[in-house]
This record gives sequence, C-alpha cells and structure tokens, in this order.
Amino acid sequence: MKTRRARKWVRLGKRVVSHLVLILACAFALFPIYFIVITSFSTLPIASITAQVLIPKLSQFSTASYHAILFSQSPSFTSLLWNSTIFAGSSAAIGLLLAAFTGFALSKFNFPGRRTFVYFILLISLFPSFVLILPFYLEFAKLGLIDSYLGLIIPYSAGAVVFSGILVKNYMDSIPDDIEEAALVDGLGRTGAFFRVLLPLCYPILGLAAFLAFVGPYSDYALAHVFLTSSDKWTLALGLYNVASTDSGASNYGLVTAFAIVMSLPIVAFYMAFQRYIIGGLTLGAVRG
Amino acid sequence: MTGIRLENVTKRFKTTVAVDDVSLQIPDGEFLVILGASGSGKSTILRLIAGLEVQTSGHVYIGDMLVDDYEPRDRNIAMVFQSYALYPHLTVYNNIAFGLKVRRVEKGEIDRRVKSTAQLLGIDDTLDRRPSELSGGQRQRVALARAIVRDPEAFLLDEPLSNLDAKIRSSARVELKRLHQQLKQTFVFVTHDQSEAMTLGDRLAIVHHGKLLQCDTPEQVLSRPANRYVASFVGSPEMVFLEGNVASTGSGFSFVSGPVVIPIRGESRVGPVTIGLRPWDVAVGRTPQPGSLPGRVTGVERLGPSDHLFVDVHGAGGPPTPTAAVRALVRAYEYDIGDSVWVAFDPDRALFFDAQGERLDSMSVLPRRS
Repeated sequence: MKTRRARKWVRLGKRVVSHLVLILACAFALFPIYFIVITSFSTLPIASITAQVLIPKLSQFSTASYHAILFSQSPSFTSLLWNSTIFAGSSAAIGLLLAAFTGFALSKFNFPGRRTFVYFILLISLFPSFVLILPFYLEFAKLGLIDSYLGLIIPYSAGAVVFSGILVKNYMDSIPDDIEEAALVDGLGRTGAFFRVLLPLCYPILGLAAFLAFVGPYSDYALAHVFLTSSDKWTLALGLYNVASTDSGASNYGLVTAFAIVMSLPIVAFYMAFQRYIIGGLTLGAVRG
Repeated sequence: MTGIRLENVTKRFKTTVAVDDVSLQIPDGEFLVILGASGSGKSTILRLIAGLEVQTSGHVYIGDMLVDDYEPRDRNIAMVFQSYALYPHLTVYNNIAFGLKVRRVEKGEIDRRVKSTAQLLGIDDTLDRRPSELSGGQRQRVALARAIVRDPEAFLLDEPLSNLDAKIRSSARVELKRLHQQLKQTFVFVTHDQSEAMTLGDRLAIVHHGKLLQCDTPEQVLSRPANRYVASFVGSPEMVFLEGNVASTGSGFSFVSGPVVIPIRGESRVGPVTIGLRPWDVAVGRTPQPGSLPGRVTGVERLGPSDHLFVDVHGAGGPPTPTAAVRALVRAYEYDIGDSVWVAFDPDRALFFDAQGERLDSMSVLPRRS
C-alpha cells in the first residue's frame, strides 16, 4: 500500500516539474511579444523595463501610436504595404513556379550531372546573402535595375528557387515513380503528368515554400535598403527603420512597436491561410497501404 | 489484330543486361504470364511493351504497328502496377475517369463508362472515396477499373496480386481469369509466383537473367521443361533431381546415381546426366514393388491435403551403402519420420538433363519388363 501511494506522489511530482518547465519556456517565448504589445498601446515613454511598464494601467492605454503609424506617416503605410506585397508576392509566385520545375527536373529526370547540380544548389544556399549584395549592386547598376521593382524581384525569386527547389525535390522524391508512369500510360506526356498529377500532390510542400518565399522578401531589410533609393518604392522593413531612426521614433517606442505589430499581421494571416496545406499525408494510400 | 510481338529485344542499363535478345509473339486475346524470379527482367519486358523503357536494340510491335518510337500514351495499352499507383488526390471516380478525361472523351460517355466499369468490378459504392480510404482489394479493383475503362489494345499487369492477402488473392485470381474471358483481350501478366502463373496463363514465358527460357502452355512447361532451371522453378513441390552418370552396363546403358540404377535407351552419351522427377511421380509404399528401392523417411512436410515426404533411398544392401535423397507427394498422414519405405519412379515421366542443364529429348528410361 505504501509503495503505491509513494508511486502516486512521484507521478504527481513529475507532472508538476514538467508543467513548470513548460510554463517557463512558454513565458520566455511569449515575453517579447507581450512587451511589444503593451508598449504599442502605452503612452509611457519607455527607457527601461520596470514593473510600472510591465503591468499596464488602463489610464495609460492609448491607440495614438497606431493612429500615427497608419495615418500620419510619409511615405504612407499603405504605400509601404503595397510595395512589400508586390515585392514579396511576385517573388514568391515566380520563385515558386521555377522551384516546382526545378524540383521536378531534379527528382524525376535522369540527366548527367544531376547529383553535382543538387550539391551545387545546396552549396549556394549556404552562402550568406549579404555577400552577394555588392556584386548584385554593381551588376544591376550597369543594367539600370537599381531602384526598380524588377531589380529586387529578380534576386528575391532567385533566392526562393534555390531554397524551395530543394524542398520540392525532396518532397517529389517521396512520390513513387509509378504514379507518374500511370499518368503516362493513361495518356499524358511528362508535362501533362507534372501539371495534373505531380504538382497537385506537391501542394503541401508548395504551401510551405510559398510561405517561406513570401516572408523572406517581406521582412528583408539589407537588400531593399541598398537597392531602393526613392521613398515611393520603400517596403515596410525600410519604413520601420525610418520610424525608428527619426527623432520621434527614437524616443517613442510606441511608434516602433505599433509598426512592428501591424507589419506582422499579414504574415500571421498568410500562415493561417496556408496552414492547412502544410499537412502531410496527402500521398498516403496512393500505393499499398 | 492486336497481338504483341517482341523481336530480338535487348535492354541494357549501364553495365547490366536486363533483357537479353528476347523474341516473343503474343497472339490477340491471349493471357500470357511472364514468370521469373525477382531481378530476372520480367518487369522490364512489360515496361518495354508499355514504352516506359526504350529497348537498346530490337523491335516492339503492338498489333501490326511498330511502336519503337511511340510514347506510352500513344501505344494505347493499359497498365496495372504492383503498387496500384492510384492518384491519391483524386476520388475513385476521377481515378477511373482520368484516362478518358485526358483523351477528351465526352462527359456523358465518361460517366456511363466509369459507372459500368465500377459495377463490373463491384466498386460502384466507393466512387466518392479517396484511395487512402480503400482496402487493398478495393484499390486493386480501382487499378483494374482504370485500365479496363479505357478499352485499350492490351492489358499489362505487373504483379497486381502480390500485395493482396493470401485469402483475397485466390479469389482475385479467379476474378481476373473471368474478366479475361469476358473482355477477350490480350493480357500480359508478370509474376514471380508459379502457382499464380499456372492457374492464370494460357501460356507461360519463363525468364531468367534477362533471357527467355521457354514459352509454352502450363502443361507443356510442367511436363516438358526446356531446361533444369525451368524444371525446378515451375511446379510445387519442386522437382526432384538425381545427379548421376550414364555408364555402359553389359547389354546397354544405365543411369547410375548412388543406389539408383535405371536402364535407359536413346542416345548413349556416357558422362554426367541429371534425372528430374516430379514428387507426384515418385511412388512410396510399405512393401517392395518391382524395381523399387528401399529407403527411410527423413522429413515430412504436411501440406494439408497431402504430405511432402523426404526420403533417403539406399541400395539393396541397406546403409551404409551410398544414398540418394528424393522427395515424394503422398497421401496425408500416411508416413512419419523414421519409417522404412519402398520407393519407385514412374519411368515415363523421368526427364533427363545434360551437364549444362538442357533437357535431353533423346534419352528416356527403358521400360521395365515385368
């Protein structure tokens, strides 16, 4: 009897400890978000994190920062959002289409040097993109692509192809060749089999790739900062930097944090929209159970 | 005329020869089974007919048409894969309809054909489901339906039954045979299972190391195998082989293998020869018969309706004279390990193979005069 009771206590103890650990980890992860949210709604000028700051009072609640960000900025928030959407959206679309073809070729076609090519792509993806900024700048300056939409969309989508191409390839490797061959026998050519059978089967990975290909350019600062000179082409990331570096922003964390929150909302929405595609198991049951 | 013809077809993959100079004629409406062990090249032959692989040399004809340069989609053949290869993102209905949609068949016609094919195979209540929601047997039927609905020139089936439970497999076998009789079309069926081959095939093509060893009716393959490999591969339980020599014995020649001495006639080549016997042509009894040899049961495999007996045959002097291991198919539960028995061979059924394993037609057992 005694041992059974002892075992019960041990079990309870284990549960308490594991919950404590998880609560701590959760708090650690959520604290920055909490801090940003309360700061964005506060009127207090914040110099350091104090108890006064961390426990907000209703009297200090204000949406003034949001108002300022959304309605009295130059360039306007909508212009920044529009530019970011153009850059990220078209880069993701172009990058994804090319990545799908790249993945298809690398996974399902036998050509000499295929392995070398795969390793080459992996190698490229290991390069920090900052290294490429200067050569890109010099090259694009010659081509007259500096401060143009195209000038940023090209490197952004190229980055997406490199990264997502490998993702798609790995995913397609897991689709049995039989399925493509069944489509060939059923009356399709390889292109038809790609669009009507393989591509739909790749939706889960394409959802993930689209998300990553969108988030990259959307939050990029370095390349955009170098390439975009006129403020009417600025992206949200440049706008955020602009707010933070001007006099009002440097002392007013409310503006900066409000900007960051509004800027991240489309990404959260995007993730939620694509979340259901990022579920595996679509290919299960295609072949023997 | 929609038979299939292979003319000296060879397929090489880098250094290996998967299919080695195979010529094969499959008449219209035949159910041909390509039988071989794994890695024998049997599936490659099927893929060459389908156009999924292109031969290194030789020609493939479907009907009277030379299809060497035809893509799979232009060959108008249907294929059932071992894995079924159903489209996981499509419903059963759309899986079956896929080939028709691709060929732009009119919508009402598609609907009519999909439904009648599904009915034929008894899967009309699964049309709205996805492949992942089906049982193995149902998936196999969908794969068949997808092939049948297109009304192709020929059906190519790559081990379509091997992923089914043993229980469903035999009923699927019967159904497939019935389907063939109903459709009266050319079926080419690949398998490594010799009993599947025997029950399904109008003819069997036995393939080994990429070579076509024999192509004949199941009865012929069983009773007159082209060589020792075919003899041992086809038939269950496996053929009994007695390695021995032909020696001249006074009046004529005899086959000698340990205690077994069998007078023979025909071509009298002296040297190593192997005799092959089907276990069901080996008779076992408790009492001596003319020409029978004494032996002892060393093993029993209970197959159910009959027992597979392992017997060590020894000369009239008994052990320790040299012995020969034979096997026999006998009535169930007649004998047990350690029993003393008398073994006799049906002389007309014995097959002779030379040192290279080729069947020697000229040799046969001399009939006993009793």
